[in-house]
Amino acid sequence: MTAGRPLVIETRGLRKVYGIGRAPLVALQDISFAVEEGSFVSLVGPSGCGKSTLLQMLAGLVPSTAGEVLVDGVAVHQPAPEKISVMFQDATLLPWKRVAENVEFPLEVRGMKVAERRKRAAAMLSLVGLADFAQRYPHELSGGMRQRVSIARALAPDPRIMLMDEPFGALDEQTRIKMGHELLRIWEKTGKTIFFITHSLTEALFLADTVLVMSHRPGQIVGTIKVDLPRPRTYEIIGSAEFGAMRNRIWKLISQDDREVIGEGMAGL
Amino acid sequence: MTVRRALTILMVLGLWEAVRRFDLVRPLLLASPTEIASALVKSWLDYVIALRLTAIEIAIALACAWTLGIAAGTIAGLRPFLSATAGPLLSSLFAIPLISWYPLFMVWFGIGITSKIAYAIVSGFLPIAINTMNGIRTVDDQYLLLGKAIGCSRRQIIFRILLPMAMPSIVSGLRIGTALVVIGVIVAEMLSSLGGIGYLISYYRSIYATEHVYLGILLALGCAFAANWGLGFVERRFTHWRVLQIEER
Amino acid sequence: MKSLVLFTQLAFVALVIGLWAIGSWIGAFDPAILPPPANVAIALEGLLRNGDFLAYSLDTITRVVAAFVIGAPIALAAGFVMGENVGVGRSLSTIFNMVLSVPQSIFLPLFVLLFGLGFTQKLIFGITHVFFVVAINAMAAVRQVPHGQVTLARSFGAGRLRVYRSIYLPAMAPQVMTGLRLGIIFDIIGILLAEMYASRTGLGVLLLRWGESYTVDKLMAASVLISAATIAINETMRIWELRVGRWRKVLENR
Repeated sequence: MTAGRPLVIETRGLRKVYGIGRAPLVALQDISFAVEEGSFVSLVGPSGCGKSTLLQMLAGLVPSTAGEVLVDGVAVHQPAPEKISVMFQDATLLPWKRVAENVEFPLEVRGMKVAERRKRAAAMLSLVGLADFAQRYPHELSGGMRQRVSIARALAPDPRIMLMDEPFGALDEQTRIKMGHELLRIWEKTGKTIFFITHSLTEALFLADTVLVMSHRPGQIVGTIKVDLPRPRTYEIIGSAEFGAMRNRIWKLISQDDREVIGEGMAGL
Repeated sequence: MTVRRALTILMVLGLWEAVRRFDLVRPLLLASPTEIASALVKSWLDYVIALRLTAIEIAIALACAWTLGIAAGTIAGLRPFLSATAGPLLSSLFAIPLISWYPLFMVWFGIGITSKIAYAIVSGFLPIAINTMNGIRTVDDQYLLLGKAIGCSRRQIIFRILLPMAMPSIVSGLRIGTALVVIGVIVAEMLSSLGGIGYLISYYRSIYATEHVYLGILLALGCAFAANWGLGFVERRFTHWRVLQIEER
Repeated sequence: MKSLVLFTQLAFVALVIGLWAIGSWIGAFDPAILPPPANVAIALEGLLRNGDFLAYSLDTITRVVAAFVIGAPIALAAGFVMGENVGVGRSLSTIFNMVLSVPQSIFLPLFVLLFGLGFTQKLIFGITHVFFVVAINAMAAVRQVPHGQVTLARSFGAGRLRVYRSIYLPAMAPQVMTGLRLGIIFDIIGILLAEMYASRTGLGVLLLRWGESYTVDKLMAASVLISAATIAINETMRIWELRVGRWRKVLENR
């Protein structure tokens, strides 16, 4: 067990049910896990298993039917933009605003003064390597670049926690790999806590310290894999035997009918 | 390119003039450009006064129709239940020939400036409201989620995300609405009025002053084009991104 | 949910009429300006039995139908030709679009000047209203026929007629229906306007006359009647439009 760093996110017995009366749909069942400060946790699972719902609950966008989400020990009932930034699969940049203005948007909403937020946005754009594109419009950028702007925007308010819902899902493979490297670089530089959802087993393992494995119908955590691979991680690691073994374990967990919760070195507990 | 256009216009004008000069068409039916021009020179003051009145009516009606339409459309667009109930009602109402209600407007508001403005506002209101409602309703949920996640208040979501996003729809509604307002004012003036360009056209028609009728109609068209041109500014300012998006495909 | 929506709509209409009735009853409205709903209903019933009113209505209806029956087929033909013939279509369609964007109603005095006060003038005015909108929609309908399907059918040896019937027709039908629906709406607007402006017979004349003489109950009754009739026509044609375009919905729902 690693020395306990503070638990920045905790979920206890989370449950989400849709539809009262006739045929209630249990989207999420008994989700319990914890995330240490500064760690990179990924959540992997098949499409439709409720990953996005879970992320939205962590972000305070969707209420739970039962159980609770704690951030810094406090129950979450609505978005906490000072602490948490969210990223979606679609970059969702505002098309009528320039790139820099998009990055400034969360700061503008918060009431930060113009000069200050311009500086901050410029810094974030440099961090993601898009300083030269500050005055362009989103439609002039490629998909990967838009996601980088989205990252810059998510970083702008300097949140401690970043929640990401399949941010690289719409990108082609090469861009995905590049973006993965980029993300790790930023993470190592800024020390934030990242919760990253993906349906790619490879991506989940490559990026994270810990992988939570979800199954579907109803959505629950069926396993936790601690990823002990050394950092900084390079693409070659994917070919290693260790990596392959872990990936197989995840695959087994996802595809098995018998839903047994296997806990292996749950981070921090 | 502009030289070519200028030449074509000159040619058309020349032909038009010639048709009248050579008496190919009765003077009652067609007035030549020179006749129209001289009519303008002769009665320019009347026309200036008339245009001023019409312009005022149009301006007031536009301001009201735009604000009311966008406000109503936004409110309806925000609540799915409202858009489900109000939407079909508004669309059905749109089919009604509003001109059939104009005599009632005359009863309610007299034949002065008020009835024209009221009639024009009602004419323009519906398409603006309907298009605004649809524009707001069809904004992708992702943007709403983004707004909430970033910590936007309800007000901020409406004004900083939804409305800008819905602008292309709103503007197409404004286009239709503006045209209907302009037509509404001028037609109302034709039917019963004491002034305005519509009234002038009608008056000159009743005394068979063909060149004045043509002149009046040209000026009325001018009003319509002016309004449209003004709208072009709004469109470019608020939807330039959409045009670029479509172009890049 | 759907029934709740319908209920709310009906409830709203009932509420408006109810408020109107109550307002009239407590004297909030000047009966010379806004008569109570009961008066309007009585007037309506009277109108429907009045021979003159029916005769005038028939005049209007005749004009509307005539303009449509003459204008629509020509417009359809023109629209199809423009749609098929890309070169001709493009130049003509810019002109047509310009005409459509220009308020046609403004030209009414010119029409009266050129064609006088009689049936012909109104007919032509109505036809112009029908023509452009039907033609533009017909052209758009042709343009949106999926040419991939046509090639496919031809490769199977389908003859020209077959192709028209099984591919062109269903693909074009919804858009054509939209054009026809708008055409008749514009037609009605045009004819009523022409009758109000300069005519001796027709509903428009009656409306204007009643307006000028403050005969509000008959005026409201007639306005309501005309509105109801146009809504009915619009909705009926919309239902046809939907039915004819059902295949579109199927594609959308996938």
